[in-house]
Amino acid sequence: MAEQSPFQRVLVANRGEIAVRVIRGLRELGIESVAVHSDADAKCAHVLAADHVVALGGNTAAESYLDIDKVLAAAKSAGAQAIHPGYGFLSENSAFVRAVQDAGLVFIGPNADAMDRLGGKKAAREEAVAAGVPVIPGTEQDVGDAKLIEVAKEIGMPVMLKASAGGGGRGMRRVEREEDLAEALAAGRREARDSFGDDRMIVERAVFPARHIEIQFIADSHGHVVSLHERECSVQRRHQKVLEEAPSAVVSEELRQQMGAAAIALAKRVGYDNAGTCEFLLDANDEFYFLEVNTRLQVEHPVTELVTGVDLVHLQLQVAAGGDLEELLDGHDLTPRGHSIEARICAESPEQGYIPAAGLLELVREAQGPGIRVDSGVYTGWEVPPFYDSMLAKLIVWAPDRAMACERLSQALADTAYLGIPTNVDFLRRIVDDQAFRTAEISTDMLSQRPELAVGDRADGNSSAPDDHVLAAAVLCQALAKQTGGNSATASSGSVQGSTAVWQDLNGFRLFEVTR
Amino acid sequence: MKLSREFVRDGETVAVQVESLDGDRFRVRVGDNSYEYDARALADGGVRIQHLGDDRKGSVAYGAGSQQSYMLRVDGETHMLEAPASRRSGGGGVSDGTVRAPMTGTVLEVMCQPGDVVEADQTLVVVSAMKMEHKLSAGVAGTVQSVSVAKDATVDQGADLVVVVPAES
Repeated sequence: MAEQSPFQRVLVANRGEIAVRVIRGLRELGIESVAVHSDADAKCAHVLAADHVVALGGNTAAESYLDIDKVLAAAKSAGAQAIHPGYGFLSENSAFVRAVQDAGLVFIGPNADAMDRLGGKKAAREEAVAAGVPVIPGTEQDVGDAKLIEVAKEIGMPVMLKASAGGGGRGMRRVEREEDLAEALAAGRREARDSFGDDRMIVERAVFPARHIEIQFIADSHGHVVSLHERECSVQRRHQKVLEEAPSAVVSEELRQQMGAAAIALAKRVGYDNAGTCEFLLDANDEFYFLEVNTRLQVEHPVTELVTGVDLVHLQLQVAAGGDLEELLDGHDLTPRGHSIEARICAESPEQGYIPAAGLLELVREAQGPGIRVDSGVYTGWEVPPFYDSMLAKLIVWAPDRAMACERLSQALADTAYLGIPTNVDFLRRIVDDQAFRTAEISTDMLSQRPELAVGDRADGNSSAPDDHVLAAAVLCQALAKQTGGNSATASSGSVQGSTAVWQDLNGFRLFEVTR
Repeated sequence: MKLSREFVRDGETVAVQVESLDGDRFRVRVGDNSYEYDARALADGGVRIQHLGDDRKGSVAYGAGSQQSYMLRVDGETHMLEAPASRRSGGGGVSDGTVRAPMTGTVLEVMCQPGDVVEADQTLVVVSAMKMEHKLSAGVAGTVQSVSVAKDATVDQGADLVVVVPAES
């Protein structure tokens, strides 16, 4: 770790919290950081955190963070030797990886060939089968009604019938009984034809209820692949992860080894050489099935860091520089220790169909305390632009066991305030405090089965009726807001029309003796 | 010497009045009830509030917003407190025929022009925000009087986009 990195300067081709997190990792290794930004992000947290800054121009992702030519030009003009892509944007774009290499720079991530072999769902499934990784049994294509029904009976009921062209659940149905197969298949074809103009169907074993378990692994360019064990991300809404944890409450040491070995086999087969994640579905009988590989650092990587003690960004940089994992991890005990949970804090209203929000964050107060980590990309006074993802920050806790981690997360969420635009903070707390989450009885369809967790108990979206003390607190806050002078955006924000009115009401009225 | 506000709670208007006593002490009347608090502003924008008279736990409250719509975070819960509708600057309740941007975003498409006769639920403007498309309609049938945005324009939350004059019925 003390060794000098061959990189003096690394460009971070991302924004917000992940760019801040990578910049911190760079600084810890003595590497200078280069931030890039769109026009809307000129004062984004990652720009403020970086050593050097290059403006990309534009507002939308396509005009800025997704523009390969602009990002490469920025790297050249800033004198960077390598590019860290973060997640999203260009992170899983093999054409970008090749362009980076053609420009004589190092991409902090897997090589383009490995990325290609794991990129498409179909290609990845074939690689998984070849590597001996279990996949969901079924047909990969439409083999005709008779054969589909035959295969369904072979793999055993219940099965899922899915539209080949599918997505969003349309054309998809779960069939419990063999005698219903023919009719369900016909109905599925009609629905698929109406939805996608393509009536091809496939059949798969129904993995239900399923838990989302994924293996974080890190590989180097010397052929070593190390499993950093599982994360559980079963709490999802519309296929977006909401809460993630490590370790999983239901994965035994034996299963952990099996899943880790499967991920390692797949990574070795494709010549993988950086951080990656192999995602699986786990059924109630401890059978696991390959889903896909994410060929990048993931949003939820901190929970792995907190239970294994490794720094994934450091490792990414070290293996990209040719480091050998046998040396880098020599002496590290990677056995998961304690329990970690991450909550994704997003500017959205779960109470109103998860509609995302943009606008001024008038007040940001992030939790702190023992076992609390906040990876944030925002601050008081930051105006959340409407062009990108709605995630503001990640609140991650660590505690010696899961029960205390839940309690710690609940308290940390209670101590969190992002005011000015709607956020999902109350929603996250409702889930964390729910009995099913506390007892780890979670599955990927938990939130669709329990819509009340999104909506809350009240039509107005508030968690409870504002009692007298809440109303009193609101007016006390308004009365005292100005008292702190220019110390907060709330007090100084010219856009808060109510604040000015307060002082007309309180003409000549001194709330505090201000002593200086 | 007092600060007065009104909020809607469960459909009822509740008057709240803060009156300074000595030092950090305040009397707050909420409807017909009266409470005393010790309240101190903090440099981070919060207010530490302790109810005097029973052994309720003290808490730090954080608030932001306007007199019309105030967001308060206290005791681990967020409350959206609204002033009675008559005080509001617009929006909410019955549609007035003005199509406003629900949030800051980019106009993807303008699907009407002045003079068009439109239905209540007809999509007039499509706005993209946070990677989602929002199809906006006037909520009333009528005639388009004005269109104040064009394709690709960036619009602020609440901005007027299209004005529809409701049809006589």
